[in-house]
Amino acid sequence: MASKETCRTELRYAVRHLSDRGLYSASKWAAEQLMGIEQDPSKHTPSHTRFQRGSSSIRRRFRTADSSASGTPSAGVSYVTTPSMIGVEDYDYDPIDNDFYLLGKSYFDCREYRRAAHVLRDQTGKKAVFLRCYALYLAGEKRKEEEMIELEGPLGKSDAVNKELGSLERELSTLRKNGTIDPFALYVYGLVLKEKGSENLARAILTESVNSYPWNWSAWSELQALCTTIESLNSLNLNNHYMKDFFLANAYHELRMHNESLSKYEYLQGTFTFSNYIQAQIAKAQYNLREFEQVEVIFEELLRNDPYRIEDMDMYSNVLYAKECFSALSYLAHRVFLTDKYRPESCCIVGNYYSLKGQHEKSVMYFRRALKLNKNYLTAWTLMGHEYVEMKNTSAAVDAYRRAVDINPCDYRAWYGLGQAYEMMGMPFYALHYFKKSVFLQPNDSRLWIAMAQCYETEQLHMLEEAIKCYKRAANCNDREAIALNQLAKLHLELGRSEEAALYYKRDLERMEAEEREGPNMVEALMFLARHCQTKKRFDEAEVYCTRLLDYTGPEKETAKSLLRGIRYERDVEHFPS
Amino acid sequence: MATGISKSPVSFTLTPHKISICILVQVYAPPSQNSTPFPFSSVSQHNRLGIFILSLTKVSEGIFEPTLDELIAQLSEIGGLLNHWLNDHLTRRLSSLASPDDLFNFFTDLRGILGGSDANVMDDDQIMLDPNSNIGMFTRRCLLAFNQMPFEGICHLLTNIGTYCKDALSSYPPCGISNLDDPTDDPDASLEFENMEMENFVYEKVSDDDDEESSMGIGRIPFHGHGSKAFSELIEDGASSSRPRLEHMDTTALSSSDMPRGIGFNGTFLHTNWQVQGYLSEQANAIEKLGSSFPLNAFESTLRKLQKLAPDLHRVHFLRYLNSLYHDDYPGALENLHRYFDYSAGTEGLEYVPPPSGCSTLGRYESALLCLGMMHFHFGHPKQALEVLTEAVRVSQQYSDDTCLAYTLVAISNLYSEIGISKMSRIIGSSSWPVAGMGTSLSAQQQLFVLLQRSLKRAESYKLKRLVASIHLEIAKYDLTHVQRPLLSFGPKASLKLRTCPPNVHKEIWLSSHLINEFGDESSVMTTEGAFCTAWLKNLKNPTGSLIFTEENENRLNSNVFQFCAQPSSVPGSVLQLLGSSYLVRAASWEMYGSAPLARMNALVYATCFADSSSLSDAALAYSKLIQHLAVYKGYKEAFAALKIAEEKFLCVSKSRILIAKLQLLHECALHRGHLKLAQQLCDELGVLASPVTGVDLELKTEASLRHARTLLAANQYSQAAAVAHSLFCMCYKFNMQVQNATVLLLLAEIHKRSGNAVLGIPYALASLSFCQSFNLDLLKASATLTLAELWLSLGSNHAKKALALLHGSFPMLLGHGGLELRSRAFIMEAKCYLADPSFSVQDDPDMILEPLRQASEELQHLEYHELASEAFYLLAIVYDKLGQLDDREEAASSFKQHITAFENPQEVDNSLSNTL
Repeated sequence: MASKETCRTELRYAVRHLSDRGLYSASKWAAEQLMGIEQDPSKHTPSHTRFQRGSSSIRRRFRTADSSASGTPSAGVSYVTTPSMIGVEDYDYDPIDNDFYLLGKSYFDCREYRRAAHVLRDQTGKKAVFLRCYALYLAGEKRKEEEMIELEGPLGKSDAVNKELGSLERELSTLRKNGTIDPFALYVYGLVLKEKGSENLARAILTESVNSYPWNWSAWSELQALCTTIESLNSLNLNNHYMKDFFLANAYHELRMHNESLSKYEYLQGTFTFSNYIQAQIAKAQYNLREFEQVEVIFEELLRNDPYRIEDMDMYSNVLYAKECFSALSYLAHRVFLTDKYRPESCCIVGNYYSLKGQHEKSVMYFRRALKLNKNYLTAWTLMGHEYVEMKNTSAAVDAYRRAVDINPCDYRAWYGLGQAYEMMGMPFYALHYFKKSVFLQPNDSRLWIAMAQCYETEQLHMLEEAIKCYKRAANCNDREAIALNQLAKLHLELGRSEEAALYYKRDLERMEAEEREGPNMVEALMFLARHCQTKKRFDEAEVYCTRLLDYTGPEKETAKSLLRGIRYERDVEHFPS
Repeated sequence: MATGISKSPVSFTLTPHKISICILVQVYAPPSQNSTPFPFSSVSQHNRLGIFILSLTKVSEGIFEPTLDELIAQLSEIGGLLNHWLNDHLTRRLSSLASPDDLFNFFTDLRGILGGSDANVMDDDQIMLDPNSNIGMFTRRCLLAFNQMPFEGICHLLTNIGTYCKDALSSYPPCGISNLDDPTDDPDASLEFENMEMENFVYEKVSDDDDEESSMGIGRIPFHGHGSKAFSELIEDGASSSRPRLEHMDTTALSSSDMPRGIGFNGTFLHTNWQVQGYLSEQANAIEKLGSSFPLNAFESTLRKLQKLAPDLHRVHFLRYLNSLYHDDYPGALENLHRYFDYSAGTEGLEYVPPPSGCSTLGRYESALLCLGMMHFHFGHPKQALEVLTEAVRVSQQYSDDTCLAYTLVAISNLYSEIGISKMSRIIGSSSWPVAGMGTSLSAQQQLFVLLQRSLKRAESYKLKRLVASIHLEIAKYDLTHVQRPLLSFGPKASLKLRTCPPNVHKEIWLSSHLINEFGDESSVMTTEGAFCTAWLKNLKNPTGSLIFTEENENRLNSNVFQFCAQPSSVPGSVLQLLGSSYLVRAASWEMYGSAPLARMNALVYATCFADSSSLSDAALAYSKLIQHLAVYKGYKEAFAALKIAEEKFLCVSKSRILIAKLQLLHECALHRGHLKLAQQLCDELGVLASPVTGVDLELKTEASLRHARTLLAANQYSQAAAVAHSLFCMCYKFNMQVQNATVLLLLAEIHKRSGNAVLGIPYALASLSFCQSFNLDLLKASATLTLAELWLSLGSNHAKKALALLHGSFPMLLGHGGLELRSRAFIMEAKCYLADPSFSVQDDPDMILEPLRQASEELQHLEYHELASEAFYLLAIVYDKLGQLDDREEAASSFKQHITAFENPQEVDNSLSNTL
């Protein structure tokens, strides 16, 4: 990986390039990463090293550092980053051209995209061409969004399309053929192609763009969205660069390779120690690995550093929901609502809060609002499905889950929810289809296996062999609720295989001992094992179990006593046959 | 079920096409005083425009509204002398709509042509549109939609009208533009010009038609009545009626997918909801009818487009499910089925009957189970199917959905009767089983019978006529192959008669078809009306006003009349299909009972009358029956000729009955000619066609191993043949296929006869006889009697009298209904009996022997059954020898030699046979 200093320089340039071209979210991302790099303690006073925000003096000092720093990037193609090239781009244009550009950019900043494009219509500079194309694209997108509402047909939304795509594609492809295209215009070209559905070409173009200018995170994200399988990811021909690591980490996450993604992020943290983005991503991965404690810690820290952050906070609220932290959740909801109430994440957090409070109607209302803000907001569809399940409105739940699944067919929670809903309606066999889908997507989640096993176990189906298979899978993948072992024992007992049953009771017992849990399962296991050992004439063992049973109050104690008596008697008989 | 972002449903949107219709309506009913308003010269012309407008509002031929080009093309078909004026008017009016205010004025004018609410006030002469007529309603809906439209909507409408006109102009032939631009142009000349162009067009089409009629989709013009191409053959007749439709489907699919619809809105307006639904249900019928020959990808792309444009129209998923189902795409079908029911909760499509209030929020997922069960059944997963259907029974009971319950029960009985029963015991035993209440002492078949009776009662009480009819058919099928026993036998068992009951079967079949006769126009008004309009629009080429087409007019008129008769019948397609299958069952029953002419007749009725409305696979079945009949009664030559025709017709259906029939035919032929290797190969191929799952495709499996045993027998490998027959018997016994067992037993008797073990053979023959008796298999019984007689005779000449008596007893059946082989066997047997009988002398009555032998040899030559033919000639030669007719003897002997060499060297002759493969 490049040295911290190089990263810093490069990113600093990148922020300027990106914001100069109106690529705001990419520039925001770059700036965030820039701030995430640990400062060199030798150059800066310790008080400034940790969080440098708001300190203009440091910024000024950085700038002076820029001009002296001539460090070229060690990895990737040295394109725009070399300061000399920047100079070429910045100063070679005519002043008139530049004036046009300035006006166009101002219009662009005021979101008057068509005006901006119009002003830049005859400009030939690369920057101007890019801004014009990008403005046109955005204008088309804006119109598309409006038309989506206006053209709502009797049978749902009609598909409004961005009408600029055709002309943009034509222009950009000629530019590319002429070789007069810069990586930013390539990014727009990629966007256009992706929207038009020619994914392979879009992938190639975006790869070209990120290879020549790696700091445009928006291009990476578009590329990531095009890599839906590991094969397509591996087939990309990318130059080595630390941005590639960011990209891969994100892509692994989306492909549900959480451990790989986690290790990538941890590696990146070596350089970008204080990056909020990386922290949030780690939290996401941990969340999917169901390490809620860690996620909570990370988010607490994130909020301390960045109290007005809304991104990813819906996941934090999920964690708080799972841990039933009422007050923390309400605090979070309050805070995000004051920050920006019309963000889907905010609505989702409030929905979660009401759900935790058991007010499902209100919760549904907020999820609906989240969906109104973003129709493809996956989490909200799934969570709304959960709410409907709680409200026993199964058909509405099915509908919501199905929409989630159609948005992202890899959402195992929604598949699981569908299965659950159908099971509630007394259709276990039908539900199996959905459970199968969900375990296929998330084969290491014991809860899914247990749900499927319970489905097989239902009175109507009563397919115990299949249930046993599922419970075995559940037991093999870290079954937190410790249902599987107990159920396995019970099922084997029901099928008359006492040896297997004893084996699983014993394993269950060991587990409970290891986790120091008590409860009815413990008694049940001990009771069975005591009886089993007695019938198998393993009296010593039986005695051990019986004595342990004596610790419990209630009928078990009496049973244990009588068992002990029986054991002694049998032993006597054995020793002194009459 | 709006869990999504809820919105007020706007069911009717204004589109440029609708504006065009409104303009035409204005032309049709201008506020003037004459009975035939200005541009029209006759009342019929006026009416024709009216029907045209009506059809435009109802047509359901695709998902998209036509472009202006298409509309103008159609308009010029009906307009006759007026078409120039009409086109001009239409385009001018459309292009004059340039600002929102123009639209406002247009709709204000439109309101003027609507009559007042009470129609009595107006003058007689004045033309007013009745607001409650179809066209009036349409106009009112347009007005309402316009009034509700926000300003954005009007802007969109304007841009859309712009592109609508522009597209038309840009793709219109240049002469059209000049016509439009130059109003001084002589209208007659232009008319003639256009007609000439039309004629060229027609000519091209015809030549196309001749060149590559099967591949090109020219469905828009029904040209099959043209010229000398009159189909005299019966089979061709069926083909002609189904082909244009197929072609048409291709064209619609193509035209909707190939149209240059880039990003803009040109022509991508959906028809109204009602029309799209009509289109979808028509397509669903077509899929079910055509099976795997339905164009998969073209339709899939149409559906995908439709789904994109109307994401809330969940029926699309159902169509996609159907499409994948009939193309054997299991994952696709499963996925789409689940998706459809997840979205619609079973409350859309199908025969939706709203449930009684109170449980309406729950959805109707039981129908999902029913469909899933049927799907598993279709794919040959009987176990899953039964699981799912059992669940469906439970769920419909739980939500008291009686209709679904009735359908499910019938589906289960279908499943029962189609697949082997032996493996079902586990599920039958379980407590949730619907029949379990009857007690588990019942055999599986009796359970099926109870199930059928119960579903019949249920269906009758809910007045599900179609279901009742199909249950009757199902019961008929059951009665056909099952001996009636009292279900719960209490008291004396004196009345127990172990026979099937043919009158019952026919009573059930009659009941089934009778119920269909009661069918009026139930529940299918929508589709038939839409289909009618579609048909009308498709037949626009029949001009009433134009004189240029006189030459061809008659032919075309005929074809039109034919189509008109076929199209808008008030009986829905599904009912016709049921009625058709009742004829198939009839044919099957007569085939079993052994009446060849009746079986043939019923199959013929089916092929002639119902081939149009039935599914392709059923039609193929009827054809294969007819072909088999030909083979058995007329010899192979004719059968192969017929097969060729059928193969052409059903080329597209994969794994069809025709293929099976072909293999059967070839196998039979190879056996008769003594080409045993080929025969073995053919029967292996037949066996491969069956699914490897046990309990599925039993019919085919029995057939294959029966043929295998016969091949082995022909190769004189008696012990192996017997082993195969034994295992077949065990399988039939296991799956309770008693009727097939009669055949197997007869085969065993035959094997023993051939191996010279007559004593062992007799019990088998007798057993077969008793089976035949109890199942009323008269023809099979006759042939069993024949075998029995042969067995007796082979025991020695002292049994000749007995054998002869047996033979003569079944002579009427054998000669009246038997095929060529059976008849000649009977004749030879008779001759042999006489020859063996010591009390019979040839000299006294030579014709007693000669006549049957001559008959036999003649028929066997037809059949090319060399082995038996050589035997006949041998006997003939002997008899002639005894009679001293040396010339005749020599002739017979040479024929004998000929056949015996052909039999022993099959390869030389049989190249032709293997070529047909």
